[in-house]
Amino acid sequence: MSLLAVVILAPLGATALIPLLRRAPGALALLAGTLSLVASLGLLQAAFTGVYATAVLPGLPNLPLRLVAEPLNALLSVTVATVALCVLIYAVGYMREDPQRPRFFATLSFFVAAMQTLVLAGDWVLLLTAWELIGLSSYLLIGFWYQRPGVPAAASRAFLYTRSADLGLYAAIFILIAATGSSEIAATLHTGGTAAGVASLLLLVAAMGKSAQTPLHDWLQRAMAGPTPVSALLHSATLVAAGAILLIRSAPLLPDQALLVIGLVGGITTVVTGLIAMGESDLKRLLAASTSSQYGLMLLAVGAGVPLVALLHLIAHAAIKSSLFLGAGVFQHSRDATSLHALRGAGRDRPRIFIGYALAALALAGMPPLSGFFSKDAIVAAALSSPHAWLFGSFALTGTLLTGAYMARTLRILWRGEARRQPLGGLAWMGAGLSALVGLAIILGLAFAPIEDLMGGVLPASTTALIAGLAAALAGLALGWWVGGSRLLGPVLGWAQQGFAIGGGMNAWVVRPVWRLAQLFDRLEQRLYGGVLAAGRLALALGRASRLSDERGIDASIHALVRGTVNLGARLRALQSGLIHRELALSALATGFILGALLLAGWLRLS
Amino acid sequence: MFPLVSTTLFLPLLGALIILALRRSSASVVHGIGILTSALTLAGAVWMWLRGVEPGVFSQLEQIDWMPAIGASYRVGVDGISLPLVLLTALLFLLTFIFSANVRERPHAYGVLMLLLESAAIGTFTALDALLFYVFFEVSLVSMYFLIAGWGHEDRQRAALMFFLYTLLGSLPLLLAILGLYLGSDPHSFDMRAWIADPPLSGTAALLALLAMLFTFAVKTPVFPVHTWLPAAHVQAPAAGSVILAGVMLKFGTYGLIRFALQMTPEAFRQAGVAVLVFGVISALYGAFVALAQSDLKRLIAYTSVNHMGYIVVGVAIAALATDAEVRAVALDGSVLQMISHGLVTGALFFLVGMLQARAHTRDMARFGGLLKFVPVLGWCFVLAAFASLGLPGLAHFPAEFQIFLATLRIEPVALVVVLGIAVTAGLYLRAIAQVFLGEPRDEWLAMPDLNLREVLTLAPLLVLIVVLGVAPAWVLEVIHLTTTTLK
Repeated sequence: MSLLAVVILAPLGATALIPLLRRAPGALALLAGTLSLVASLGLLQAAFTGVYATAVLPGLPNLPLRLVAEPLNALLSVTVATVALCVLIYAVGYMREDPQRPRFFATLSFFVAAMQTLVLAGDWVLLLTAWELIGLSSYLLIGFWYQRPGVPAAASRAFLYTRSADLGLYAAIFILIAATGSSEIAATLHTGGTAAGVASLLLLVAAMGKSAQTPLHDWLQRAMAGPTPVSALLHSATLVAAGAILLIRSAPLLPDQALLVIGLVGGITTVVTGLIAMGESDLKRLLAASTSSQYGLMLLAVGAGVPLVALLHLIAHAAIKSSLFLGAGVFQHSRDATSLHALRGAGRDRPRIFIGYALAALALAGMPPLSGFFSKDAIVAAALSSPHAWLFGSFALTGTLLTGAYMARTLRILWRGEARRQPLGGLAWMGAGLSALVGLAIILGLAFAPIEDLMGGVLPASTTALIAGLAAALAGLALGWWVGGSRLLGPVLGWAQQGFAIGGGMNAWVVRPVWRLAQLFDRLEQRLYGGVLAAGRLALALGRASRLSDERGIDASIHALVRGTVNLGARLRALQSGLIHRELALSALATGFILGALLLAGWLRLS
Repeated sequence: MFPLVSTTLFLPLLGALIILALRRSSASVVHGIGILTSALTLAGAVWMWLRGVEPGVFSQLEQIDWMPAIGASYRVGVDGISLPLVLLTALLFLLTFIFSANVRERPHAYGVLMLLLESAAIGTFTALDALLFYVFFEVSLVSMYFLIAGWGHEDRQRAALMFFLYTLLGSLPLLLAILGLYLGSDPHSFDMRAWIADPPLSGTAALLALLAMLFTFAVKTPVFPVHTWLPAAHVQAPAAGSVILAGVMLKFGTYGLIRFALQMTPEAFRQAGVAVLVFGVISALYGAFVALAQSDLKRLIAYTSVNHMGYIVVGVAIAALATDAEVRAVALDGSVLQMISHGLVTGALFFLVGMLQARAHTRDMARFGGLLKFVPVLGWCFVLAAFASLGLPGLAHFPAEFQIFLATLRIEPVALVVVLGIAVTAGLYLRAIAQVFLGEPRDEWLAMPDLNLREVLTLAPLLVLIVVLGVAPAWVLEVIHLTTTTLK
């Protein structure tokens, strides 16, 4: 209980304290991040000994809030805390010139607190709460530089995409609670029947929004408007991860047909966004597309029926992708740009940072003995051992090939070119954060065996998968290095650069129709208003005429109460004379008098 | 026992009389009286809250014979549905008085009307005699009419006329329904408790009475298509008037829907439940879409009221349709909590828009931009209130809407389409925030001052409560739940 509280409340406390103190925001956030990490390690350690911390908090009637630290929760909590701490260390250097640092660190800490709540949530209401709060905090972080052109739109887009998809989560939760009468996640996972099928698909919709799966992938690339540490966190262990985490956690619920759909969505995404990454001309946007692609692979693993593999890839990817972003952030600071053209040779400016970046890139491509090799190998093996081996297998191998290709492409661009070395502030902090994450990206493979033990699962493995996976990765690296992006894509290059939008994309299919509907309703509204006003005028004219004929009779028949007559008369006179001033006092007096009279009548009756 | 309810109810009226007596006093004295009176009233409401309610019955009853010949008495009391509304009313009026402490235009009349309105509002929620209810209900309309006509914005005359016509026409059917219920009761009485304990009408008579009541309360709530008075009145009303209108007076509609329609003609409501549900769903979605099309910030918020109140109508209709007592309690818990949340959130938003308008003399969103840089406190307050209004978990609307939607799925899954509204409201608020507060700062607003102490004092209680209610709604829900679980 107490450890659970520390994990969440430490960063939340930093969020509250930083705006109050407005001093040393980085140090406060780091302190809170460290506390949170230590506590989450405590949870994991307890989970290894078979003791699962839980807490029940008051919530809605009959739907209490729960926190649990079962192995999966504890593992994810440690992942989140670790990546968050490294990113915070990096951010101290990266943000040292920014006058809005307190706001940055406060929001970032809030983000971490919300994400910890999400991974530790034991009931659907709390999970939904955390799910939406990470949406809010990413909105605030993507929109951090809100005065820059394009930033508000990017932040709004990110929130709206995910919120719209979140309706799936809302509906799924309602269905699960209605079916089982409980909001406890563990209790709803064995629902079965139609309810489980519908809920699964709805959960998938929510996950697609958060994990930026095709066709909801384009918000993530635009979300690059935020500071780089934010991207590093968003793309690795937090916002985007939430989608995959949701599906991994609800895996026992998912029926076979839903698994097929999930695998298809993941497979298509990994290929589509992989191609987008090949055609991308901006480093951060390329990495963003790659994130979608990697989460596609995780969904593929869930669809293949081995969520444990998805979990391993999620953990490995968290370290790898945050390393890549942090490296990219240094290059960005170094050249004041993120376009690949401007970054030619940026790797030579900072060779040590480049080595870190390259190691992470090779890990993502799946080179042994780096962490990504193990998780990617397991994904290929899982796909090949699934009921849809040919389909899922080819998705997995294509995804692997594309990963190698776009990573090799960035390596070549960063390395081939002139070095332009200029002094850079805060490099020590940035280097420290980056090297810790790169270290993890290299050695995490060692942790997979104990994780399998802890989770009680066995990874699928086959020599075919190993050879095919390695061959695909190597081929991809070679293609990316020697052939490059635009030549490889050939005729689809243009389309890939538009994010494979079909007929104008989301703007044409959703945004504009909604906007048109709103305009239509607004016109209807004006008609309605005009109509009522005309009717009102007519009624008033009739009223005047009838008042002339028989004022008392009509009024009395409409209003049994004297008050009505007094007021109507006062009002009509006010309208005619336009001198509201005097009538006002009169009417106020009159109403006051009536109330007083009522009261008096009551007292008299009493006595 | 000390007649706490009546004291709370008539304190504002006493304040109004004092202001009338001190006609020569300065504006600050008038505002002082207003703030003091409403603060005492709030203290009374808090005391009432501490006294609490009993499950299944009306508590803190106070009764005096009034017109025994026709069975009309002065009867007041509260239950778990009305008590939170009384507390909300008293709070909002106090904040309104603090906010209006700078009114220099005919302060006496303003103070008198506001205090009169406060008494009428508390009276509407606490009256247990149908005739008394009707009197309070009508008196509140009159006060609001004059507030709009006297202190409103550029097009106030037309808006006040619209408001008047609608409400006059709107409240007549209620009177007929009350008369019908009276005639149906045996012995003849206006005692609402008796009508609730033993619904006097059945069959066609009950259905007709229900239709009459539905019309009145639909106008008040407001429900599409009889909502057109609302945006006009809101846009033209002074900021304080908008706060009271949205925060308190719209609740008359949904409160009446539960207290009269649902409790006094339950069988008829069950038959008509689907129709009411359809109106609720349309209202919620229509309000959201029309709000999306607005460029006037105040109008936009006014239309989100149609959306939020639509959810309450959905919740009440679901409660009427539900045969399972547990589901009905969930739907009503959500609906009543939504009234409170809407009062807090929309109250805060209208205050904020008023503060913005007082500075910029415009409400056109396109004319703003990047304000967060110049008025960060105002900006962040707006962001918080806006996210609360779009139903973000952890803020006031979420627990209410969650319960309403949950009950909806269990009774009428198709109606869950209403949940689309929360995506549309997210869109419209993000658009408003982006247009007004984000983007490149415009030099035009360089000298705009941030919130002053008076404004911070007005907003702080609301924003704190919005978070408190979102994080820990249990303390209010417990009170509501006492009554909703025992509703027949």
